[in-house]
Amino acid sequence: MNDLRVVLVSLKARLVSTLITSGSVAVAVALLLTMLSLRSAGFEAFQRGSGTTHLLVSADASPLVAVLNGVFYANAPSNPVSWEKYGEIRSSFPYEWAIPTLQGDSFRGFPVCATAPEFFTKFQPAKGEPWQLREGHFPEKNFEICLGSDAAAGTGLRVGQKVQLTHGAGSEHGHEHTEFPYTVVGILQPTGSAHDRAVFTDLESSWLLHAFDRREREGIDGKPTVADLTDADRKITGILLRLPTRPGSDGSAAIQQQFDTLRRDPAIVVAQPAQQIDRLRGIVGNVDGIFIALGVAVLVSSGISILLALYNSMAERRRQIAVLRAIGLSRGRVQGMVVAEACLIGLAGAITGVVLSLVGGFAAAAVLKERIGLVVHPDLDPRSAMIVLAGAVMLAALASVLPAIIAYRTPVADNLRPSA
Amino acid sequence: MTQVLSLRDVQFRRSHGFALRVPSLDLAAGEMALLSGGSGSGKSTLLWLIAGLLRADGGSIEVAGQRLDAMREGDRDRVRARSIGLVFQTHHLLPDFTAEENVALALMAAGEPERTHMPRARELLASLGIDRPGARASDLSVGQQQRVAVARAIACRPALVLADEPTASLDTDSAHAAMEVIQKACRDAGAALLCASHDPAMQARFPRVIDVRGFATSEVPA
Repeated sequence: MNDLRVVLVSLKARLVSTLITSGSVAVAVALLLTMLSLRSAGFEAFQRGSGTTHLLVSADASPLVAVLNGVFYANAPSNPVSWEKYGEIRSSFPYEWAIPTLQGDSFRGFPVCATAPEFFTKFQPAKGEPWQLREGHFPEKNFEICLGSDAAAGTGLRVGQKVQLTHGAGSEHGHEHTEFPYTVVGILQPTGSAHDRAVFTDLESSWLLHAFDRREREGIDGKPTVADLTDADRKITGILLRLPTRPGSDGSAAIQQQFDTLRRDPAIVVAQPAQQIDRLRGIVGNVDGIFIALGVAVLVSSGISILLALYNSMAERRRQIAVLRAIGLSRGRVQGMVVAEACLIGLAGAITGVVLSLVGGFAAAAVLKERIGLVVHPDLDPRSAMIVLAGAVMLAALASVLPAIIAYRTPVADNLRPSA
Repeated sequence: MTQVLSLRDVQFRRSHGFALRVPSLDLAAGEMALLSGGSGSGKSTLLWLIAGLLRADGGSIEVAGQRLDAMREGDRDRVRARSIGLVFQTHHLLPDFTAEENVALALMAAGEPERTHMPRARELLASLGIDRPGARASDLSVGQQQRVAVARAIACRPALVLADEPTASLDTDSAHAAMEVIQKACRDAGAALLCASHDPAMQARFPRVIDVRGFATSEVPA
């Protein structure tokens, strides 16, 4: 027989209360850890999309807007970058790749991104995760489109179907380019990025589409060909740039140098997507803090439930405490048992909460990926888990102070009388 | 003969005016004495004073050669754990613990090595006729519960056993049988027994009867 055994028997004697109280701690810990886990995973998910891009060039108002538009398809970029500028930038440095993109059209509200074939062969939407097709193939000829997984799910389109794009981003009721039907040739696997909402096609098709409109305004009939395209038609809205790196490394000292060089050009805006996403993280950090505060509040409320459970049990345990004191256990030792009981409830709840958060995190990740295409990798940070575990036990110990004081002050002789 | 209990001019006063003064009371090793007196005469109070569960307002209380009245509470707890066994009217077993665990608790409190707890508890329970040492205390009959309570009281081979109305709720035959169990256990353990009982029928079982009514007073100074 030892003190721990006494504590365990006491807990077992109030099994329902113990389980409920411990369960409330478990839920609180699971909630807090899941929030912490999904928070970091959520920001990692934000980092997806910019993928292997080091620098993003556009003519937007600011680098943050450039990233919001170019990576997250928030809006169609308002100002174009000329094809000449693209050529100038491309030849100014031995980039590993420089991929032009053009946004501005849409299909049933899903943004259209016209781009070069390298977008599918060289750019990766997430580091180490190249594009993968669910079916079909990437656009190879003019007027072929490939759908992101969400766009495919949202439109219900299948490979082989023909569609007409709409002028303007996000609008379902804009001017339709009825003259140029596109054929769906591929559907992409989910990437866990905003690209899943996009519809991809080639640049020339988009240029031809808008050249048709221009020529119509100029009174020229007939569909244009590539030969009819002018420099004004050949415009883009973004350039994804990647600099050469050493094998196994994603960074390079030249990135910052090239960033500084490009930003001197007043005609363009250059952004390092990773930095801008970190800025975005800083902006929404306060909201994030509110969720963490809510989690802590739930944890504190579970501490109160421990206090109530122990406090309520003290009335019926006065005689037990008196008997333990009568056989020679000191006040401090009995008080320690009450604290140990609370700590065990807290510890059991916290451990269960850790397991729940892992299971719940993976379940939530599966749902997020399935429902909204957001790829999160719930990862329990051991440091956070240890802090939350220690916090739960400390909170439980704190909650036991009042019941422990009651135990300490329990008058022995009075509680041993038959009528007590 | 060695004294296991020695009280000198012990004074105790409760807030509601009840007071107790014990000019002198001694108990030799192995001696058995009955504290007699009606309800409210101070029998239980005197036992709790001797056990160190109540603090006397004056005088000296010596148990097994140790002055309880001069000790701090923690030291009194240790003396109680090692030298005093307690038997209560309602047994006061912990209902969620098994019979052997109830006995082992006393050994734990006395600081006996943990490995000895269960063997000693089972041995004692067997000697008192308890054949289900692993049964929860609440599942035992009243008679069995009392035997377990006696086993707990003598588990640490105390010098003194204090019994507070151990037969109060029993009929005459059962009371004698129960008292026989307590007295035999104390004899076997070599412990002195000071038993409080208002039952006149119990007086014949004890070689010495101390009438507590002689100790009750209202003149103990504050």
